[in-house]
Amino acid sequence: MTTAPPPVVATPLPRPTSRATRFWRRQGWVVGVALLLGVLVLWRSTQIPEFGPFEVRGLVAGTMALALLAMAQSVIVISGGIDLSVGAMMVLANCIAARLMLDQDLGTVVLVAVLVVAVAMVLSGLIGTVAVVSGVPDIVVTLAASFILGGLALIVLDGPGGGTDPRFQEIIVGGFDQPLPSTLWLAAALLLVWVPFKRSRLGIATYAVGSDRPAAFLSGLNVGRTRVVAYVLAGFYSGLAGVVTTAFTGSGEPRASIGATATLTSVAAVVLGGVALMGGSGGLLGPVLAAGCLALIPALMLGLGWDPNYAEVARGVIIIAVVMIGGLLQVRRKRLR
Amino acid sequence: MPAPLLQTTAVAKAFGPVVALRAVDLSVAPGEVHALLGANGAGKSTLVKILTGVLRNDTGTVAVNGEEVSLPTPHHARDKGLAPVYQDPAMIRDLTVEQNLKLTGVEVAKVRHELAEMDLDGLDLDEQVRDIPLPFLRMLDLARALAFDPQLLVLDEITAALPPDLSERVFAIMTRWKARNRSVLFISHRLAEVREHCDMCTILRDGRDVASFHPGQEGGESQIVAAMLGEASAGVRDVARERAARASTERTSRLVVRDLLIDRQATGVSFEVAAGEVLGMAALEGQGQDRLFDILSGSDRAAGGEILVDGKPLHARHPFEAIRRGVVLVPSDRLMALLPQRPIRENIAAPLYNRVLRWGPINSGRERRQVQEAVTRLSIDTRAAAQARRLSGGNQQKLTIGRWLAAGFRTLLLFDPTRGIDVGTKHQIYDLIRELADGGAAILMFTSELREIGLVCDRAAVLHNGAIVAEMPPTASENDLLTAAHGLEVTAV
Repeated sequence: MTTAPPPVVATPLPRPTSRATRFWRRQGWVVGVALLLGVLVLWRSTQIPEFGPFEVRGLVAGTMALALLAMAQSVIVISGGIDLSVGAMMVLANCIAARLMLDQDLGTVVLVAVLVVAVAMVLSGLIGTVAVVSGVPDIVVTLAASFILGGLALIVLDGPGGGTDPRFQEIIVGGFDQPLPSTLWLAAALLLVWVPFKRSRLGIATYAVGSDRPAAFLSGLNVGRTRVVAYVLAGFYSGLAGVVTTAFTGSGEPRASIGATATLTSVAAVVLGGVALMGGSGGLLGPVLAAGCLALIPALMLGLGWDPNYAEVARGVIIIAVVMIGGLLQVRRKRLR
Repeated sequence: MPAPLLQTTAVAKAFGPVVALRAVDLSVAPGEVHALLGANGAGKSTLVKILTGVLRNDTGTVAVNGEEVSLPTPHHARDKGLAPVYQDPAMIRDLTVEQNLKLTGVEVAKVRHELAEMDLDGLDLDEQVRDIPLPFLRMLDLARALAFDPQLLVLDEITAALPPDLSERVFAIMTRWKARNRSVLFISHRLAEVREHCDMCTILRDGRDVASFHPGQEGGESQIVAAMLGEASAGVRDVARERAARASTERTSRLVVRDLLIDRQATGVSFEVAAGEVLGMAALEGQGQDRLFDILSGSDRAAGGEILVDGKPLHARHPFEAIRRGVVLVPSDRLMALLPQRPIRENIAAPLYNRVLRWGPINSGRERRQVQEAVTRLSIDTRAAAQARRLSGGNQQKLTIGRWLAAGFRTLLLFDPTRGIDVGTKHQIYDLIRELADGGAAILMFTSELREIGLVCDRAAVLHNGAIVAEMPPTASENDLLTAAHGLEVTAV
């Protein structure tokens, strides 16, 4: 038998996915959460006779700390970890700020705010370094760190107290019926800090490390350093959350349970906001919107005349329902391919 | 004589008590395509990892252009002009291709240029890596490595999952690299490729370099096999002739597939596998073989058609249901099928639990006996018994097949069972497959290596575009199989 050369057939190039498909795959979840938030806000507005700037301000300013904490948690989750100390970090920042800001002039207060955020970044970076260098799972290191930070908060402020400058409060969370300042600060935290970071090589590296550590290492990345950077950025956001809390409440509150609840809510916001707990995907906008949803639920329940205790149950049910729907959509996508 | 581009001297590396490299001297001249060969566990991967900064050698030296270098990270290795393309592309699935390129600090324009040279400029770099098929990811990884303009290109089994036309492009690059007086370190289990495209080869065995010669010389191939296997080479035998001589006997159909629609556009797959028979399936990349095996094993659902096992229809919605009917899949990704962190014993025993009363206690005495029997029969090297992931690739594959054997399953779906496995272990696996079939198992085996059709199978079915386009005897030439696999009429039979 003759051996003719095998017929050469070119392997076809993979068909590129369309722009619309790509947008939907990458941003679909955020669009969904935004819609959910829109629906909840509309619903809330029907419960109140006059829904105006006052209510909006209350909503945004009240959500701000949680939104910032959700951002902190998102950064860590994207880098492939989990941080159980963000809430305690917020409480500590709140206590340091409230103690140092009491009876100071505006200039000093602003300086303290910057200092507090810097301290949170250093502490968080330290926690990250311990987790990276020791090789102890981050869930253990950050849980232990949350106790340490909670203890430090009680040393700084042994009970509710401290204070801040009313003008500082106005700058950060806005006056009585001004929703603009708090909205702008949140937007700034996203657009001026996160977006440039995400586009930088360091940002891409953060996603890479969260997605596939061995491949990231083979790509020549310093995995440990990238993870520590993620912790520093998370510290920035959780420190900011503490400062914002000080501005919103005008005082410091060292109770550890606040930190613990805030941490768990931040994880909920991350999940609801479309950041995979496996790491490497999602963004910060989704969790911020999700934080808004989570903050609205108790108010809605109150508006319905339900027992506020049911609000927690409702939050849990909503998280499971939304994530389940998302999961089903993904299964469908896989089947259709 | 010019100084070698790369020279390793007595490089050694141990992982705890397991010695991977004892002492390896490897010398690659400028402008040379150098093959690195060896059985699984011979130390090829370890050596490659040392050369590319993933691992650090315990002792010995690595010199580039006559100058001793230290390679603590992949980044350092690239700076010294050593760029790797690994077996599994070092690309992050959640990122786009372009983001992946930025990560390594390569100039995207250069990568585009290299892709254009390979006639692959149609690839969209804004695509997420997870949406790109593996062969093209390898090509992208290659283009990225080339964009660094390395002095030594290290290709670790790059052709293992490439369709022929893409392999040809890789060979063209190797030739181009040589013409520029740069070098390639080429790792492959396909000896034909090595013969045709390599100027030199170095063979590793048990962590030492045992031979180094020109592979294209007279009798090169058998010399390679002999060097690779050492004493064991006597055990390699040609199963093909032996079986071809044997007359086919009456057999009862075990697995019958009728008009199975792999996807909505497909025309439908029909074939039968009898007890005691190995049906080989040949296909080019992406003809629906992955989904066919997923459907048969219960992890995916067909768009239509029917599957009969022992005459009764099987509607598996979950692998559990297929396994209960005795139909089990051995995927080519071995770590997917094993419990990598668990001991060998538990890995072999896991399928047995399936047969145990659901809440009943496990009879550990009986379990141990069955496991011991299986280990002996499979001649698995149990030095790394504590965790299955520490076994070499060949031993892992023996384990994935063998555990079903211990549990007495009767219909086996083998998906490219010898991918990335060395010649010696391959033959052990062929023997194992034959032994299973002779014991009454029905085996459907997809293979990307057409030679295996003749070596192992009783019949061949060729899959093209979601349909069986030809059935052939095992004596069919690779050429005919390939022609049919391209969906063309086979004329000269």
